[in-house]
Amino acid sequence: MKHVGTILGTAIAGMFVMSVWGAFAGAYGIGGGWFAGFAIISIMWYLNHYIGIHNNDGAWVDMALGIGVAGTTAPIFREGIQVGIDALPTLAIVLLGGLAGGYFAVQMEKVHSEG
Amino acid sequence: MTIQNMITTFAGAFIFPFLIRLAWGKLVEDTGPIGGWLAAGFIVGTTWTLTHGVGFIVQTGAWIDMAWAAGVGLFLASAISGDDTSAGFVNAFFAIVGGTLGGFILSCL
Repeated sequence: MKHVGTILGTAIAGMFVMSVWGAFAGAYGIGGGWFAGFAIISIMWYLNHYIGIHNNDGAWVDMALGIGVAGTTAPIFREGIQVGIDALPTLAIVLLGGLAGGYFAVQMEKVHSEG
Repeated sequence: MTIQNMITTFAGAFIFPFLIRLAWGKLVEDTGPIGGWLAAGFIVGTTWTLTHGVGFIVQTGAWIDMAWAAGVGLFLASAISGDDTSAGFVNAFFAIVGGTLGGFILSCL
């Protein structure tokens, strides 16, 4: 059942982020996009990571992983695999940038805790 | 995708997990669960304005969200800090299943 929580939590977060967020941004511009982050991620974080229906008994799996997957798979389900192949250059660089960001954050933590 | 596009895409992706890993937990530690609401606005909302609002992350096909960067970056940060990677991969699998389910349901909209 703990894995069912992860599936439900990421599916719900993914659906909110990949539909409602864009609607807010479309209606109200960049301020709508900021507000969507506040309105959606707050309660989704509370559900997934504060109450904790998203199972995390190992290296941290953030609900962001499921959200990213939902955003990429939705257009693939709609339009076919070619849009997924077209996305690979962006995906590769985003993954590299994300890994670098996570790595350097840990290095900052080490420096900070020594200080 | 030009080299300039690659630079902004990389930078946007770097910043998101970097901010989350360093600031989110501290905000919650200092202010309680309301820190999660602050983080949602001032980490996720504000980073969105950079990555997708003004377009640092340049799209070439199916949507690649900044969430991908947080997913892999936070996992790596946790793994190199000593957390159990094999249990993590099991949970990652189910998160991908859930994300794919969400993506499928969205495609029916």
